[in-house]
Amino acid sequence: MKIVVCIKQVPNTDTVKIDPKTNNLVRSNVEGIINLFDRNAIEAALQLRQQAGGEVILLSMGPNSYISSLRDGLAMGADSAILLSSRKFGGADTLATAYVLSEAIKKIGNVDLILFGRQSVDADTGQVGPIVAEELQVPQVTFAESIELQDKNQLIGHRLLDNLVQEVKVHLPAVVTVRDEMNQPRYETPLNIQKSFEKEIIIWSENELAVDPAQIGQTGSPTVVKRIYSPEKAGRQTTTLPTDPHAAVTQLLEELNN
Amino acid sequence: MNNEIWVFVQVNGQIIEPTSLQLITKAREIAGERPVVALITETKTMNVETTVKEYGPDKIVTLKDAQFHNASDGEIADALDQVVSDLKPNSLLFPATVLGRSVAPRLQAKLKTGLTADCLDIYFDGDDLVQVKPTYGDDIMCEIICPDVRPQMATIRPNIFKAVKHSTDTEIINYSFAFHPEANIEVLSEIPVINSSANISEAKTVIALGRGANNEKVIEKAEKLAGKLGGMVGVSRPLTDNDEFSHENQIGQSGNTIAPDLLINFGISGAVQYAVGIENAKKVVSINTDAHAPIFGKSDYAFVGDADAFMSALLEQVR
Ligand SMILES: Cc1cc2nc3c(=O)[nH]c(=O)nc-3n(C[C@H](O)[C@H](O)[C@H](O)COP(=O)(O)OP(=O)(O)OC[C@H]3O[C@@H](n4cnc5c(N)ncnc54)[C@H](O)[C@@H]3O)c2cc1C
Repeated sequence: MKIVVCIKQVPNTDTVKIDPKTNNLVRSNVEGIINLFDRNAIEAALQLRQQAGGEVILLSMGPNSYISSLRDGLAMGADSAILLSSRKFGGADTLATAYVLSEAIKKIGNVDLILFGRQSVDADTGQVGPIVAEELQVPQVTFAESIELQDKNQLIGHRLLDNLVQEVKVHLPAVVTVRDEMNQPRYETPLNIQKSFEKEIIIWSENELAVDPAQIGQTGSPTVVKRIYSPEKAGRQTTTLPTDPHAAVTQLLEELNN
Repeated sequence: MNNEIWVFVQVNGQIIEPTSLQLITKAREIAGERPVVALITETKTMNVETTVKEYGPDKIVTLKDAQFHNASDGEIADALDQVVSDLKPNSLLFPATVLGRSVAPRLQAKLKTGLTADCLDIYFDGDDLVQVKPTYGDDIMCEIICPDVRPQMATIRPNIFKAVKHSTDTEIINYSFAFHPEANIEVLSEIPVINSSANISEAKTVIALGRGANNEKVIEKAEKLAGKLGGMVGVSRPLTDNDEFSHENQIGQSGNTIAPDLLINFGISGAVQYAVGIENAKKVVSINTDAHAPIFGKSDYAFVGDADAFMSALLEQVR
């Protein structure tokens, strides 16, 4: 089985700040890590490989600094990694990103399964997986809680829709986006970390891919960020209750009844 | 291209997903002169339009086919593509539910347009639909537009807006299209998740428990208290690992947005991902041993102290 896992590198912090003067995001000094949910996707891929054999290929689009998270994914046990990196890919929104990923998947060739984390923890769109599925004209199981291989060509997935559990059977190739409930990602072992440094990370730019220049990077991105800001919330007036629980409850109940 | 705002109406089984109705009301609010159109996919025997009409869209476009029962994301996106490519709305809104967030991007890829996920607000600036969404967790908001391509697409978070009935003359159009079955996927079954109680997003009182209140004794008391107050127990994300709680109980960014009259937080720190889920709560009371816990900044009443002690006192004193 040939499995591609698409991963994203995100800042390792909840506290990305806005520069009050320029209104730009300040991301310096924040180290990049693999998007949390993408580790679940890697884990799912490794488990399938264990069961059915084959290879797990990591794929990411971003600047060269993304090599560090690809390296982490290799240390979890993936076989190889490809970084799609070029100035021309910069400024891409979900549509342009998914387009380049799809072209890379076509170039890899004979891919059976493409896995994603359910969404990124930073931009939180969750839409790159479905766009890739559409670009490749393959079925999708999004927000999957479980996947089971039926045979070489079929997979059954369960996903929690808003108030029902849907059981779907897909023929491969297919796209699956993985919820964190599916598994517990493994830790990197010292041996795998060591091995990961022996593996080469392949870098492809637009020169290696059959991409239409009009559909990549900023040019290929219909959306524009108009403004980024920290909303000034009308904070609540906080009343501190007495330290004695009984006195506190008495005051609270009185005030709530008024 | 026309100037219409379309809202995709999601139907789960026989039930209209409430966000769709909320979006019709919101669309009417920001529409100005623009007509608001509800877009429905349903089986031939269903009549969702009767209910949708009560919320006052100017038009309803229905796509009817028996195969919408157990349709795949790809099949729904294909059907929507036919009508959207033909009638060319200005904007197209989806609920940011699992289904909305799965179908909308497939449709986006067909239409080669922009899509903003999980918006908290939308408004028009001229012809641009400004889509407001949080990013990087930490209270950072982003305004996104799609200036050159139509339709402008967005998924919008559930329970941010209120659905309000409105009577108007609604034109109903039964759009004819071809249902194209997707060969490589089969929906085998859809099993309703039995929700023992009502949905937490609609509860009037919520007792919320976090890691600082994660022990059996406190959980038991919380259930009792919820019973007494006619409310429900909700949790922060870490507690969904407990057997007694699931995603259904989770409050926050990746859980439920709640809007109760009274919310009492026990042992919750108030991480941004939690806090976005409680912004619409009317009165917020928080109990935390740490006087500097961020949750107090989002609270009307603060008790600095032990969750169990306060809970016990509350149980005793509430009748
Ligand atoms: C992409 C993403 C999505 C997320 N989505 C969500 C979400 O939807 N919902 C969510 O909740 N979280 C979510 N999180 C996780 C979130 O960041 C926090 O980790 C989580 O909310 C913390 O839960 P908590 O407040 O219960 O625990 P903690 O942060 O550990 O806080 C426990 C609190 O209890 C207090 N405490 C300890 N002992 C006592 C005591 N005896 N009495 C009273 N107080 C006590 C402590 O002072 C502390 O403030 C998400 C994270 C990510 C990255």
